[in-house]
Amino acid sequence: MYDKTVRRRRAVLALLVVLSLLLLTAYFGEAPNGRLHAVQRDFLTVVSPIQDGANKALKPVRDLFGWFGATLHAKGQRNELLKQVSRLRQELVADEAEKRISHQALALFHIDELGVDDYHPVTASVVGQTPNIWYSRVNIDKGESAGIRVNDPVINDEGLVGRVTAVVADGAQVDLITDSSMGVSARIGSSQATGLLQPKVGDPGDLALQYLAASAPANVGEYVVTSGTVSNEASLYPPGLLIGQVTSVNEETGFKSVNVHPAANLQELDVVQVLTAGAGTRPENLSRLAASLPSAQTSGAAGEQLASTQVGE
Amino acid sequence: MTDGVSSSLALRLGAFALFAVFFQIGVVSELPVFGVNADITSLLVAFVGLMCGSSIGAVCGFAVGLLVDMALLQTLGLTSLVFTLIGYWCGRLRELRDPQGAFTPLLVGAGASAVALVGYSLMEFMLGVDAPVSFELLREIVFGVIVNTIVALPMWALTRRVLEGALPEDPRRRRRRRSYTTGGLSPLMKP
Repeated sequence: MYDKTVRRRRAVLALLVVLSLLLLTAYFGEAPNGRLHAVQRDFLTVVSPIQDGANKALKPVRDLFGWFGATLHAKGQRNELLKQVSRLRQELVADEAEKRISHQALALFHIDELGVDDYHPVTASVVGQTPNIWYSRVNIDKGESAGIRVNDPVINDEGLVGRVTAVVADGAQVDLITDSSMGVSARIGSSQATGLLQPKVGDPGDLALQYLAASAPANVGEYVVTSGTVSNEASLYPPGLLIGQVTSVNEETGFKSVNVHPAANLQELDVVQVLTAGAGTRPENLSRLAASLPSAQTSGAAGEQLASTQVGE
Repeated sequence: MTDGVSSSLALRLGAFALFAVFFQIGVVSELPVFGVNADITSLLVAFVGLMCGSSIGAVCGFAVGLLVDMALLQTLGLTSLVFTLIGYWCGRLRELRDPQGAFTPLLVGAGASAVALVGYSLMEFMLGVDAPVSFELLREIVFGVIVNTIVALPMWALTRRVLEGALPEDPRRRRRRRSYTTGGLSPLMKP
């Protein structure tokens, strides 16, 4: 009797381990459009409405716990923000004149009208988030039926959040900008020099803008925005979307890199906007044109976009 | 050995596991504490193993892991493998030692969390996922274990409450049986 129980217990364990390894091997070896990936997407299609419902039902609980954390966090942010406001007030005065000139130049190309609203934003709620350091992903409650496609950029009222990596009828998965698979072509606000923004090695909560020209000006506190181009081709991300702020500058041989702290609070995402304007659309064409202009001219459009990146409920 | 699965236990386990996974994804993962998130799914698997035995623990671990991987579009089989081992080992702990101490849930919760975090990291490294290896990872693991240990007691109480009465061998029943036996030997009962 005892032997039988022991044998059964071991058989169950062996079966489950082998099953897990088989799944792992098959999943890892197949293409993204393979059968297991398709099953996962189908599962997401089924559970998306449940996730959405659970997210709405559990929001009060999340808000309650979030309130304590947010209060403590706000206290720490207050002093820092006071200093920042003082500095930005001085910068604002200096930028006003430059902005007026930029607007006049941009008006020639009708780019001054371009705002986030032109990218057909779709507002979505975050209904799920990965709990570990290995993946920086969230699930949202809008999908193909709302016009969302793979590779659409995702923003919130603070800045760039990530891009859509998988989509089903009523849900989608978004890889955050801190995910190890991400790379965004970006530039420092005041500079023409572009680089590749990736998660910082050793601190996946932060980013590093790499491969900047050694002579490119970069100062702590400057804003980093999407460049809108990759090797003179249109990037997935419209130009001028705020990504973060420079926290330190590293001088390297031949290149310069800067550490960037994301503007968006990626750990507490609630509502995001997916920019669904695809290739060939008017905003896409205009943004490509804007990206090809010298940086001094695009700064006005960028500023407008940043100002108008307000997420509606 | 505590391997008998009643339909009541299966039903309760299924519903509770489903709720825990959605609660984890929708709420707990969005509430960082010390910069990390608690992981109630690994605690659930560990406590089910501790209450129901190794076979049920392993099956529950596999199912919960598969659910997590499916819902988050993660590498399929990865969380299942780690959780299966956690469920099995916690079940074996019950079968071999049957720990009854007040700190058992804390220690088991901490151990299960450590195994889950380290096991998951090792698997990711072996699969060659391009992720930074650093002090940050170590910090994440240490803080993750601490946060999970804090959450372990309420999670234990909740799991116990949900499964109470449907367990293969209810501890209350065992205590009652023991007291009856002791009562039978009392000199006061002699005629």
